[in-house]
Amino acid sequence: MSGHLIDLLGWSEAIAGFLLWLLSLPLALGNWIALQVGAPSPGPLTGVIGWVTGPDLVSFLGVIIAINLLLLWATAFHLLIIMWIERKMYSRLQDRRGIMIGLGSSEILRRILGPIPLLGRPFRRPSHLGTGFLQTVADGVKLFQKEVITPAKADRWMFHVAPVVIAASTLMLFVAIPWSDGFWIMGSYETHFINGTPQSVPVNPWGILVILAAFGIAPLAILIAGWASNNKYSLLGGMRAAAQLMAYEIPLVLSLIAVVVLSGTLDPFEFVRDQSRPLTIGGLTVPFLPNWYIFHPALVIAFVVFFITIIAEAERIPFDIPEAEAELVEGWTTEYSGMRFGIVFGFKWLRALAGAALIVIMFFGGWDGPVFTTLQVPNLATLGAGTVPLPVLFQEFWFTVKIYVVFIVFVWIGWSVPRIRIDQILNIGWRRLVPLSLLAILIAALAGGLNWL
Amino acid sequence: MAVTVDGELVAFLVLSAIEVLAALMVVVSKKLVHSVFWLFITLLTIGAIYLLFRTEFIAFIQIIVYAGAVPVLMLFGIMLTRRKIMEEPHEPE
Repeated sequence: MSGHLIDLLGWSEAIAGFLLWLLSLPLALGNWIALQVGAPSPGPLTGVIGWVTGPDLVSFLGVIIAINLLLLWATAFHLLIIMWIERKMYSRLQDRRGIMIGLGSSEILRRILGPIPLLGRPFRRPSHLGTGFLQTVADGVKLFQKEVITPAKADRWMFHVAPVVIAASTLMLFVAIPWSDGFWIMGSYETHFINGTPQSVPVNPWGILVILAAFGIAPLAILIAGWASNNKYSLLGGMRAAAQLMAYEIPLVLSLIAVVVLSGTLDPFEFVRDQSRPLTIGGLTVPFLPNWYIFHPALVIAFVVFFITIIAEAERIPFDIPEAEAELVEGWTTEYSGMRFGIVFGFKWLRALAGAALIVIMFFGGWDGPVFTTLQVPNLATLGAGTVPLPVLFQEFWFTVKIYVVFIVFVWIGWSVPRIRIDQILNIGWRRLVPLSLLAILIAALAGGLNWL
Repeated sequence: MAVTVDGELVAFLVLSAIEVLAALMVVVSKKLVHSVFWLFITLLTIGAIYLLFRTEFIAFIQIIVYAGAVPVLMLFGIMLTRRKIMEEPHEPE
């Protein structure tokens, strides 16, 4: 099990302490001047300085900084990257020359990977320099510059509230998703006995429930957005989206219960700790494999159902009939313009990213991964005195890589299959996935009862 | 009876005020979709008040079941049973 690189709360408190110390400097100067002109000994501002640099305010500001850092990392940074990955991947799949000419065919990759037989073949194309990454940034700038239009006959108030609810519920997803043992904001430290030695580990007993609650709020906001636009295409898209999300939320929760039955917890940290043990099935230890739930025969059906429902929850292509641009213009996002469109559209990608993170936590071992070597670097916290271990492949690296691999599978599926009709979507949801997820619970309960895990 | 004023009491009072106001708006609103939105706000605030009672499980279940599902079911019921769901720009003669 690799160590974590980032200690978000600790770092944020350090930043907050520094900012508050900066803030207290003019106060200290004022105190000094007051002492010079003959004020009584501790100075009139001592109490204020003590409050500003005291532990209460530092921890409060530290939590606020931590929330902002994590949400910026999870949304602004990764949104740009996954949009870029999606474009590059589908242009590869569909042989769209204009877009794909950047990825992997940049001059450096062509020189390094090109000569490799077979594997280097995609990189041997003639190339332009650069990767095209700034295209997503340019899209964002363009959306910011566009006028925000409210349709004349729209229900103004609801039209403006719906994107706020969508954005808030999507950000709520990322509040509960930890990125490593140290990169989280929702949770607390507890002392657990691991192999007989007490260790301080993070816990968040209701993490998965919070994620489900945040997924559950979206249908209402989408339906309201579609209704408030006062456009029949938007309304149709909103109704379809709400019906689809409602239908797929049930197998989502049920297949998750199958995993919870076996693991016995709703804590994302506990999921990952459980999955980082060696794999044991029916009392036999399988060599070289970690205890990832994807490797358990009893959880295969649960995984399939969970994967399909996550794709549907993110409204990705086999299930993107709510915005079917061939028939509904742009679905429930038709009437939004400018950055408001950017929010409702970009946050769909973010829900896909959060779904990929959930799949990784539940089935692919989260941030568990091999650590090959650990470096000893000077400890910055004590100004170079002593060393701290720095893992070369840290937990955040593994988690991000796994999320991107799952997301690339989303893109791969999405651009390889046609979208299906709304009645077929609902049929699959209610008639196939719900019984399958019930079967998954039954199998998981049997496996748990027979003590397979 | 002495009442200690702390963050939790303030949070409880603010949440209760929002909840009561939203519950009033459910009844007062002219349009049904507005009522459903205020119902959503009411149920969400009740979930937040459960959080203040340190009952996290029931709080998140409240948000999943009530705030997430019930308003959508009501909206579906309303939209699928009424012929006109919003004023038309111009009625055909």
